[in-house]
Amino acid sequence: MIREVIAFKNTKCECGHQNPVGTVLCEACGRPLEEQDRESNEVLEMRYDGMARRSQRANPNFIDRIWNFFSSVKIAVYMIILTLLGSMLGTIFPQENTFLNIDPSTYYKETYGTAGLIYYKLGLSHTYESWWFILLLVMIGASLVICSLDRVLPLYKALTKQRILKHKQFLTRQRVVYRGPVELESKEWVEQASVHIKKRGYRVHTLDNALLAEKYRFSRWGPYVIHIGLIIFLLAVLARGLPGLHMDQHVAFPEGEIKHIPNTSYYLKNEKFTVEYYSEQDLPKEFQGKNKVLPKLFKTQATLYECTASCNDPSKEPVLKVVDKHNIEVNDPMDYKGLKAYQFDYDLTPILRSVKPSLVDKETGKDYGTFQLSIKDPERNYKVGPYSLELKEKYNDFGLDENGQPVTKTPNPNAPAFLFLIKGPNLPAEGVHYFYFPKQIDKERFQQDAINAKMNGGSVPLELDVKGMENVDFAMSTTYLNIRVDKAMPFVWVGAAIVMLGLVLGFYWQHRRIWLRIDNGNLTLGAHTNKNWFGIRREIAAILRKMNLEVDEKSLDNGGNHS
Amino acid sequence: MGKSRKKVQIIILLLIVILGGYAITTQVSGSNGKPTEGSKAPNFDLLGLDGKVHSLDEYKGKALVVNFWGTWCEPCVKEMPALQAQYDKWKDKDVVIVGINAGEDKMAVENFVKQVHVSFPVMLDPEKDAIQSYGISPLPTTFFVSPNGKINKIHLGQLDLQTLDQQIEELVNS
Repeated sequence: MIREVIAFKNTKCECGHQNPVGTVLCEACGRPLEEQDRESNEVLEMRYDGMARRSQRANPNFIDRIWNFFSSVKIAVYMIILTLLGSMLGTIFPQENTFLNIDPSTYYKETYGTAGLIYYKLGLSHTYESWWFILLLVMIGASLVICSLDRVLPLYKALTKQRILKHKQFLTRQRVVYRGPVELESKEWVEQASVHIKKRGYRVHTLDNALLAEKYRFSRWGPYVIHIGLIIFLLAVLARGLPGLHMDQHVAFPEGEIKHIPNTSYYLKNEKFTVEYYSEQDLPKEFQGKNKVLPKLFKTQATLYECTASCNDPSKEPVLKVVDKHNIEVNDPMDYKGLKAYQFDYDLTPILRSVKPSLVDKETGKDYGTFQLSIKDPERNYKVGPYSLELKEKYNDFGLDENGQPVTKTPNPNAPAFLFLIKGPNLPAEGVHYFYFPKQIDKERFQQDAINAKMNGGSVPLELDVKGMENVDFAMSTTYLNIRVDKAMPFVWVGAAIVMLGLVLGFYWQHRRIWLRIDNGNLTLGAHTNKNWFGIRREIAAILRKMNLEVDEKSLDNGGNHS
Repeated sequence: MGKSRKKVQIIILLLIVILGGYAITTQVSGSNGKPTEGSKAPNFDLLGLDGKVHSLDEYKGKALVVNFWGTWCEPCVKEMPALQAQYDKWKDKDVVIVGINAGEDKMAVENFVKQVHVSFPVMLDPEKDAIQSYGISPLPTTFFVSPNGKINKIHLGQLDLQTLDQQIEELVNS
């Protein structure tokens, strides 16, 4: 109670204005409120025009305390420093997300030893996704909002209702001050001076013997515009976490296949992949004659399809529509409605897709005809001439287990093998079992003929034979594309543009103000700017010269640290 | 004025807490989008060997065991009889066991299923969509999903009859 009374007493100015707690200079006349301050001759503290910040209150409660914490510039600076230090920690070793396929729990120890293990255990291998890093960013965001609100509203109020006649002490304790006699009658002098000041681009307000001139006030909003931009920027980055706004994945596309892009309604076909190498002469000297092969250009001719019907129904074939075609090269991605496909890597290992073997009579060499056998999802029944072939088993990567039973060792079609039951003329009624290895190397490695003879208790009179490379279909290469969607990006740019605007506002203009009053033929002039004091002194000296007052620019300097 | 200012303060602080909390939880618990124990089981739409499309919603209200496997993977093959035995034991008690094959041909899977006498529902994942959304790296991996759709436990590697029985017991009682 007593404190409030004292506070009440202290904040009332002699001009009669009641100021809020925390005010440094009277909101109306500019007279210093503190007794001590009034006796000093130091240059005035002009921050926020001496207004109280919103958070400065007599009896802060719990919410006020949180508010005050975030409104403090000092705290904000500490948070920024902590964030910078944290970011530095994240650069010691590569982050987990820079690798496509590692097991971080072993990778860091194996690659960097104990330091790597500690790094991983501390969670620094994903610094930028850690809770404390995000918390720091959120707190900086909070500080941006609260700092701005806390300052911009009082400042706005102070600048919109400025009094023209200021207290004498307010003028004499500015950094730029002029005092001297004038010859003309005060009102006339003010009127004449205002013409010259207006010519310099100032907005001039006069009241009897006093004058207030002001220009480029908007530059004061620069920092707050920057803050708005930064907040939009932070929110946009945050929004990337929302489903559908951000995607970053690497997908393999074998040549000639239409492949679904996971989590989208798009399909992409790698029509043709080409790679060009540097010729021996094009290589730098150090690489010549060392059998180095460096790719010059790799390019994927891609077609993008959009699924229009039965997209999520695996029992039906999706209905696709071509929506885009593009030759994807490094730094020239396909871009369709925000979906971007970047060339990332390639693999030139050919993948066997299908073969077209002929059924041949071993003795006479008679060709009964061919059929198409696809490696992936083959048909189960074939009819060739008078013979019927039923596919009984299929192995992608043929091998034998410990019991001598045929198994597939991996899911990849490295050594495909097919077991047929062939029925037809000159064969036993129950048919013969026939193992077929489409790759010549596997045929020899696994001794196809011996297996078949053993299974049927004697040699089989027929054989499957691919007659030439025209009957073999390969996917010659696989291209790896980086598929990206980043719908938050436009907002990031908008935020960055607003920041830029704020920087320009704050850097290229300065808020300049001149106050003057004439008491009994004596002129008192004070001026304030937020930077470029040299410029304002020069401007005032020029104005005074027009009023026949010869003043040295330097003599206007009233001290204080300035630029 | 004083009252409305306080309201504004509270609203702004609340917004910051909500947004900040959202940012931190999505980043930290997200763990690259892979489901973890306690998180919601991702949905799937897969073609079963029965020729019908099955999705996770179908098993809502039932305890669900999802086993990811491949015919080439020895421990997967070895645990098949245990899974089948548990399927037979629990099938009348609102427990379903499903096997999701990792990207093999229908034919290979059909032959295998016949050979080892598996009768629980088996689905094909030719595009490895479910493999990806469940974040599977080693096979076999088994997810125990409670009736409310939350992942109760993730088991990496081969399961024996006893642990499987225990896990299902736990799942049913959870």
